[in-house]
Amino acid sequence: MKNTRSRSFMVLIMTLAFFAGLIYHTINLVIHSAEWASFPTNAHLSDSDGLEFAGTIYDCNGVVLAESIDKKRIYNSDEDIRKACVHIVGDDSTNISTAVQTLYRPELTDYNFIYGLGVPDALKKGRDITLTINSELQKAALGALGSNKGAIFFYNYKTGEIVCSVSTPVYDPANIPEDIEQNAEYDGAYLDRTISSSYAPGSTFKLVTTAAALTEYPDAESITYNCNGHEEIGGKEVTCYKTSGEVDLKNALSDSCNIYFANLALKLGKDKMTYYADKAGFNNYIQIDRAESVKSVYDVSQASDNDIAWSGVGQYTVLETPVNMAMISAAIANGGVPVKPYFIKSMEGAFGTEGTKGKTELAESMMSKPVADKLTELMDYTAATSYGKDYICPYLDVCAKTGTAEVGAELAHAWVTGFCKDEECPLAFAVIVEYGDSGYSVAIPAASAVLNKAAQIYKNQ
Amino acid sequence: MNEIIEMVTFILRLMTPLTACVIIFMCFYSLRYGRREEHALIALDDENRNIRYPVLYWENSLGRARGSDIRISDPTVSRDHAVLLRREGGWFVADTGSKAGVYVNGERTTGRHPVYVGDKITLGASVLTLRRADDPTQALQRKKIKKQKKERIVPGGVILSLLTLYFLILAVEGILNMQSLEIVPHTAGLIVAMWTFYFISGSVFRRKTFEIETLAIFLSGTGILLNATHDTHQAFVQLIAMVLGFAVFSFMIWFIEIPDRVMKWRLIIYILTIGLLAITIILGKSLNGAKNWIIIGPVSVQPSEFAKVAYIFVGAATLDQLQTKKNLFGFILVTGMCIGLLFFMSDFGTALIFFITFLVIAFMRSGDIRTVILAVAAAVLGVMLILSFKPYIAERFQAWGHVWQYADSAGYQQVNSFIYSASGGMFGVGLSKGHLQYVFASESDLVFGLASEEMGLVCALLFGVVIGGFMIYARAVATRSRSTFYSIAACSAGGLLVFQAMLNIFGVTDLLPLTGVTLPFVSYGGTSMIACWGLLAFIKAADERTYSSKKRRKKKSPSAPEVYRRKAEAVEESENESEEEFVEI
Repeated sequence: MKNTRSRSFMVLIMTLAFFAGLIYHTINLVIHSAEWASFPTNAHLSDSDGLEFAGTIYDCNGVVLAESIDKKRIYNSDEDIRKACVHIVGDDSTNISTAVQTLYRPELTDYNFIYGLGVPDALKKGRDITLTINSELQKAALGALGSNKGAIFFYNYKTGEIVCSVSTPVYDPANIPEDIEQNAEYDGAYLDRTISSSYAPGSTFKLVTTAAALTEYPDAESITYNCNGHEEIGGKEVTCYKTSGEVDLKNALSDSCNIYFANLALKLGKDKMTYYADKAGFNNYIQIDRAESVKSVYDVSQASDNDIAWSGVGQYTVLETPVNMAMISAAIANGGVPVKPYFIKSMEGAFGTEGTKGKTELAESMMSKPVADKLTELMDYTAATSYGKDYICPYLDVCAKTGTAEVGAELAHAWVTGFCKDEECPLAFAVIVEYGDSGYSVAIPAASAVLNKAAQIYKNQ
Repeated sequence: MNEIIEMVTFILRLMTPLTACVIIFMCFYSLRYGRREEHALIALDDENRNIRYPVLYWENSLGRARGSDIRISDPTVSRDHAVLLRREGGWFVADTGSKAGVYVNGERTTGRHPVYVGDKITLGASVLTLRRADDPTQALQRKKIKKQKKERIVPGGVILSLLTLYFLILAVEGILNMQSLEIVPHTAGLIVAMWTFYFISGSVFRRKTFEIETLAIFLSGTGILLNATHDTHQAFVQLIAMVLGFAVFSFMIWFIEIPDRVMKWRLIIYILTIGLLAITIILGKSLNGAKNWIIIGPVSVQPSEFAKVAYIFVGAATLDQLQTKKNLFGFILVTGMCIGLLFFMSDFGTALIFFITFLVIAFMRSGDIRTVILAVAAAVLGVMLILSFKPYIAERFQAWGHVWQYADSAGYQQVNSFIYSASGGMFGVGLSKGHLQYVFASESDLVFGLASEEMGLVCALLFGVVIGGFMIYARAVATRSRSTFYSIAACSAGGLLVFQAMLNIFGVTDLLPLTGVTLPFVSYGGTSMIACWGLLAFIKAADERTYSSKKRRKKKSPSAPEVYRRKAEAVEESENESEEEFVEI
């Protein structure tokens, strides 16, 4: 009998493994419960009345963006602010998957793993969330985009606070249009284009190619190529907007010379280009609080030499998210290491605890400090000589790079990315206007509108 | 009004796990302290060498081997020389293939031979005299301890009253949530059934203990009420299955009371096990991928569930049989056939359960780790073969570990369980108020998630605690069973229940691939419910107290010759006394 008992240890081990698994599941649930409960398909929350007792959402200045009064969700009284903030705040349902009212619905409805969602109405008290965004800038950005489809993303490259994030088309969460699913005007209205869309970056990608060359070649600045407006590279034509003749790196960037960067990309080659693109955040997700961006794509594994050349100027199959582009500018402004963007400034905790506050966190380094400083100098030169600093913003010292990404015959996305050097207004930004045709004449004015407003807010101008 | 109802149900939800915890604690506490301390029943004296061997168990191996219960360091004694065992008629010694033979009072014996106080048992060169174990000088001290111990057992009626309260709390909450009285008959049926069972168990079967049954009723009843708030018809089926389970449980305990009788029935049970599975293949209908249902009129049965119970019989054996017949050939043959038939039905979950049970029994019988390793190797090979022939099984493995990436396809059930478990928190959103109920197989495969959502994680975890507790208990009484037959059967039945619970709960929580087996007692499934009660009988029978009160009533065995009887009574009296007392020798 003694033997029988001692041999039963095998079953005991299995039982202990069973208990260990139960404990593991419990820990897992406690850690991830808010995330799991906030999954968009959760029928407890996606009921239209899920926000009856939800907390208030404020902008960085305490402007109420959304609150619950008498079991109803009330949004800001200004229609423009409502519309401009719809992708950040969200609507009553969970249509916008990256919005605060979707991702933080458990917190807004005071979810905690102890009581789950089973708290009776009488005891429900939503938790408030304060965002980093500025509703004035949001409004300005919406005005700048107008009826165009596109995205504007501004964030503080020192702290990581997202001050402005607008995606168009928008709709009014207090009055959702009935034809939102059918009307082409609202095409992709549920999508936050700043993080959930990626576009061909065009010439803005030249910043990545430049960073690669500056890191790889100590003499990069003295490398010159001859531009005749077009050249056969890798067996096929590469074309340029200008005929710059013999150009060096500095002038090639300010002239946005395709021939120069096509040759440079080919000189760097497939592996190095991929390496530096990865460093700049391509082929990876960007996490912004609980929201996750789509991937920016740089994939030249199947590319011919001509394709690599085109990839160096942000064409071929290269795709980039606006948030990624803003982070590249932020890295340049911040000595090579970007801070992670975030939009939750503070959030009340469960059971009346202090809760969480947005934190400044550094992301992976994109480039070394000397390279970042050199790029700052080049972007400064580009902004001054090619665009005109006053044209961009007369009140701020802005470094920038535009892009006009060809996406089919006669069609092009208009891009601009850059940052302000001003101490009081350390903003990095990316602006895209879909089919806007020209970075210079369409994207820069859109950025200007927000920059002028920012100057007014941060510098009292 | 609605707000008041909400507050009331909320408070009831907080009370549910609290009550359940108290019930479970009381049951296990009572089991733990109601158990007999290990002390000598009788003793064997080697007068030549002046050694006293206390005889601790109902079945004891005598031999030179290290693991022997009574280890005799004498080179003329075989490694597994003999077994000293106690049965209704008294003590017996059985030669288990020794070289030198076993002599009682100088006469060579074969098979089981009765022995009495004063008899001399000769093993090789050692002569052992059977003696009573107790020492009259300790009688006073004994009484004192006896008193202390008795108070520590919680009366079964008290626990059952608490359980009634627990079910009433659940029912009231369900009624308020549903705003209908649909579940009243289920609740009434459940409470009447369990009290009836309790009184029958106490007065007709004269059982002293009811803790194991209480725990299983806790599981079954929770499952019934949980299901009643979603599907009243299914819950009725479950309720009827539970009552049938009581009957099967009682029958099984009666049937296995005399292990030697069970041994005689073994061949029939072998044939029955395989027959059950074979019939399923011939007449079986396919439901949800596995062809393991037999449908007779309005009743659909899953014979593979009953095969699990029968299979335990095949493996368990008394100690003298274990020592005489050491090879596992017959057992492996039956196992192979069972698993083969289950594969043929595509019932891979049950096949896996059989396999693990096989490992448990094989190891407990032989103690041979090589057999286990060999079997596992064979199984790995088998799994690889299945995966190459049945690729849809591999699809389940594909989602395993990263179900969120397959939230719309292979991971749908697990992802929804996660979402709704998180929504339920520790105390749940309330019976019938959940959303997991609309996901396929929520009342069976996903019942852990369903309970997590509606009753809270604490209650769901308690299911695991109770099932794991059965196993710990089965192990704790392993040396206090009346035969190795019971210890092996209890440990393998407990292991089977734990493993099945593991497959079910870990399948839902994505620690293992989802195999679609039921959670013992809780899941919807009539056959499964009955079979689980059948398995529970093995665990109940392993506790020597299960048969003790009954034994005392018919103490005298009329068939024993008069001359032996007087002696037998003398021994038995001393034992009956010592059964309730707790003094170490």
